[in-house]
Amino acid sequence: MSEKKKAQEPEGAAKGISRRSFLRDAGLAAAVPAVAPIALGGAAPEGETLAAQTKPGPAEDTCGGPTMVELTVNGERYRCTVEPHWSLRQLLRDEVGYTSPKDWCGGQGACASCTVIVDGRPVLSCLTLACECHGTVVETAEGIAKAKHPLVEAYIDHNAFQCGYCTPGFVCTAKALLDRNPDPTEADVRDALGGNLCRCGTYQQHPPAVIAAAKELGRDRSRS
Amino acid sequence: MKTWKRFAHIDADSVGQAADFLRRGNAALLAGGTDLLGRLRFEILPDYPEVVVNLKTVPGLDGIREEGGKLRIGALTRLEDIARSPLVRTRWAALAEAAHRTASPHIREMGTIGGNICQLNRCWYFRIPDNRFPCIRKGGKTCYAMAGDNRYHSIFGALKSCLAVNPGDTAPALVALGASIRTSRRLVEAERFWDMSVPGSTILEPDEIVTAIEIPAPPPGAKSAFLKFAIRKSIDFPIVNCAVMTGGGDVRICLNAVHNRPWRATAAEEVVRGKAIDEALADAAGAAAVAGARALPGDRNKWKIQIARTLVKRALLASA
Repeated sequence: MSEKKKAQEPEGAAKGISRRSFLRDAGLAAAVPAVAPIALGGAAPEGETLAAQTKPGPAEDTCGGPTMVELTVNGERYRCTVEPHWSLRQLLRDEVGYTSPKDWCGGQGACASCTVIVDGRPVLSCLTLACECHGTVVETAEGIAKAKHPLVEAYIDHNAFQCGYCTPGFVCTAKALLDRNPDPTEADVRDALGGNLCRCGTYQQHPPAVIAAAKELGRDRSRS
Repeated sequence: MKTWKRFAHIDADSVGQAADFLRRGNAALLAGGTDLLGRLRFEILPDYPEVVVNLKTVPGLDGIREEGGKLRIGALTRLEDIARSPLVRTRWAALAEAAHRTASPHIREMGTIGGNICQLNRCWYFRIPDNRFPCIRKGGKTCYAMAGDNRYHSIFGALKSCLAVNPGDTAPALVALGASIRTSRRLVEAERFWDMSVPGSTILEPDEIVTAIEIPAPPPGAKSAFLKFAIRKSIDFPIVNCAVMTGGGDVRICLNAVHNRPWRATAAEEVVRGKAIDEALADAAGAAAVAGARALPGDRNKWKIQIARTLVKRALLASA
């Protein structure tokens, strides 16, 4: 973490709250200049809500220095100052405060535990540059849980994890699959989750969990 | 997690502008980023770019379309989009399957076909973090694989004293389908596209950029297939892979991960040309394909010869 960020830390720490809970729970407006949620849920002023619906123009020319990116994470808009060599994972964890994108393989793109959904695609946040995420819509496991997606209950019912470290990556990948294919076969699930590693060896439980979530989603759709 | 060293980042608005940055030197092109960003994070090469030029912001570089029977795939098209395209799957099956078998689902969602064909060769000495083996490809004097562990290395000899293999999955499919690569300067047959220079893997000039892949309509009655052998089916680079196109009066067979560039198995093609493919003929073709293959001293990579032979046989039977 840079000197600048450290300098901002004591604000929350002094009150005995972690930076993470501070950012998430307070949903604060302007306390942290590097990450400013600009429209929160439905409570945003009209002008900003409108802005949230239109894709912003291209990011400023970043050559060398920090740049401003605007992105939507789990339904909330953020405006962040990022360095060109920051990863999306770094932005989500250290700036926005969502810690579900994990680091396991060290940033080789080999384990998929850092998976998040960017504009509908399950991608590796460790190999995505933060400055290229201007105008994107990002979903993390926190957002999937907050939306009460049936995947969460299905994963619990099917014991689809042990230590849980790889789980956010699996859940994001599975959510992206269900968004694209609401009625996947077991082979489809195995194929989609093929890049996610789990060292506890829970692989067998994932296809039934995802298929159960798909059925639950189908029931939800037929009810509504 | 290792962080990247500082670099500047440019969103290119045209291929010409991106080429300008390349001409100024010390710049790297970024498409999907799955090869480049990993390489930079682990500092496998002795030099580090000052500028990373993002091609994803250049309009018109992605997309799959048919033009007068020909398939045109923009260089920035994601591998997953190619794998899912009904058009590619029905008429250019070997390419759809190759794209589908590349890397992992996440990398296919990020990685582009242009990046896939331009990726650097694979060798664990060359790719080791922090440039710990300054090998011949990095301007050094030694190929560490020659005396070291070369179980995954070339079975068709060294090229410019380097035993690394081209690990592309789409590359052999493009060669088998008779594709051409369109760059910012020229149109070149896929078969002639790969050639090792240091540190690249292709014939591209330092400021030359791949813009599209063009694949002719397969001859009437032709069928294509792609098979891959890897340690882990859903993730890995190939140990050996093979693409074939048969029928319609022609046959093309291409292996990869067996040499520094995709290896067209012309001897195997001669065996099957003009004949109905059955098990015995496919087997003979497999034998012909590896007739010139040699294990490296110590026989560590001898297993790859048998795999190459079997893949040629099975791919021919799959496309017959």
